[in-house]
Amino acid sequence: MTGDKPLEIVLLEMFLLVLLGPLVTGFIQKLKARFQSRRGAGVLQPYRDLVKLLNKGSVQADTASGFFRSIPVLVLATTVAAGALVPVVQAGPPAFPLGDALMLLGLLSLARFLTAVGALDAGGAFGGMGASREMTIAPLVEPVLMMVVFSTALAHGTTELGILAEQRGASWILTWRAADFLGFAAMLVLLPAETGRIPVDNPDTHLELTMLHEGMLLEHSGPGLGCMMLASHTRQIVTLGLAAALFFPIGLEDAGVIGLLLGTLSFVAKILVLAAYLAVIESSYAKLRLFQVPQYLGIGFVCALMSLALRIL
Amino acid sequence: MSIEIVHRIINDFGALLLFTMILIVAANQISGAIYAVAAQSLFIAIAGAVLATATGNVDLWIIAGITLIVKAMVLPWLLLWVIRRMDVKREVEPVIPTLTTLALAMVVVVMSFHLSASLDTVRQTITGNALPVGIALTLNGVLVMATRKTALSQMVGLFSSENGIFFTAMAVNKGMPLIIEIGVILDVILAVLVMTIMVLRVRSTVDADIADLHRLRG
Repeated sequence: MTGDKPLEIVLLEMFLLVLLGPLVTGFIQKLKARFQSRRGAGVLQPYRDLVKLLNKGSVQADTASGFFRSIPVLVLATTVAAGALVPVVQAGPPAFPLGDALMLLGLLSLARFLTAVGALDAGGAFGGMGASREMTIAPLVEPVLMMVVFSTALAHGTTELGILAEQRGASWILTWRAADFLGFAAMLVLLPAETGRIPVDNPDTHLELTMLHEGMLLEHSGPGLGCMMLASHTRQIVTLGLAAALFFPIGLEDAGVIGLLLGTLSFVAKILVLAAYLAVIESSYAKLRLFQVPQYLGIGFVCALMSLALRIL
Repeated sequence: MSIEIVHRIINDFGALLLFTMILIVAANQISGAIYAVAAQSLFIAIAGAVLATATGNVDLWIIAGITLIVKAMVLPWLLLWVIRRMDVKREVEPVIPTLTTLALAMVVVVMSFHLSASLDTVRQTITGNALPVGIALTLNGVLVMATRKTALSQMVGLFSSENGIFFTAMAVNKGMPLIIEIGVILDVILAVLVMTIMVLRVRSTVDADIADLHRLRG
């Protein structure tokens, strides 16, 4: 389905996501530090890390194949491509066929798959463990995320995020239906899992045996590691953007320069609120044991399924 | 307020009630389940206030107030006090795995929505989705009672089961007679008090949980 959103705006949205991704991580880290009564690193620290990594040389394990070098670029590319599908500053479908929410989730899981393959390819013990754990969690998270999308899509008869955001444009919590509440509850449960944060994964640790995502990055170095980190920043903001587009698509209606500015401002506000939620959750809970994660995600699953059931019955 | 808005608000609160029910079923710690059931009672009190403004029924205001004070504040506080006082195990001890209980809870919810769809004429006198939500809450409360080993977490189940009955009763057009509602609330208070005292006494004389009573023969 095509609409009237020009290519420039889609590209602008994509670059905005990539550009703001590290800032969201920095914001969450700063907020967490404040909760722990520390001063914490500046909000711009993730950018400094990225610049530092991109200027370094890279080393590679002897056991890794040639494919290993291309992994970071591929992961970054798929994640950024997923970013193009999220309506950021303007609702409505793009003027050319691009893809819908299923495509977005597919690209995100492709990035996840590539990361895991890279970790296995390098042959490190931690990488293999991280990969197998990530692949254990992923089939629990992705179907539930899809059900949340379906539950919203069912009400509007389309899975194209732009049209969804446009049709729900005027909607706000006051106009939410019962199914929206349950869907949003499921989304809130899933967000920490999908962005790799406590209580499912701990993004700050490189020392524990329990690490999931960080374990897979251990064998990467230099620019490759930089790409992987940028990809995980982007993945985080894309997931938050998906949640915002599904449940708070407000302020995206207008075209024109003022509309774009308004859309950007409202997008930043929504992302900041969701990021603050992640920081609060991360500061107030401990990481779950791996075998308790299915139970935690089960809450999300039941909520999503009930949200679907409420739409149908 | 028009009748559609009331229906929608009650539906929304129904969704929130179902969410708190899931939290109760999935809770790892007894205190978490108690907070969830307090939130559930709070939502029911707000829903009662909404219905009271919509129907102009003074009895509903009284019931909403009693629910807010007794079930959302006093009884949860009492349960939390018992936990602190008794120094019991804080984890919920399920009979069957929590994940299975969650699946059962989901089946209960879907079935109650499915079944109440066939009760068309009855459903019309009840506001919004209150009937299926009420049935789901009641049955899930029973499920929680059946799948927990310790008396305190079973009390939480009794609580939410009672909440379900209350929600349905409130959403029947213009609510039930005040005297019946007060009677129901007194029943629950009495049950919780008796059970609390019993738990305290049993704990202080013999160190036992409910599962151990199976071996007790007269």
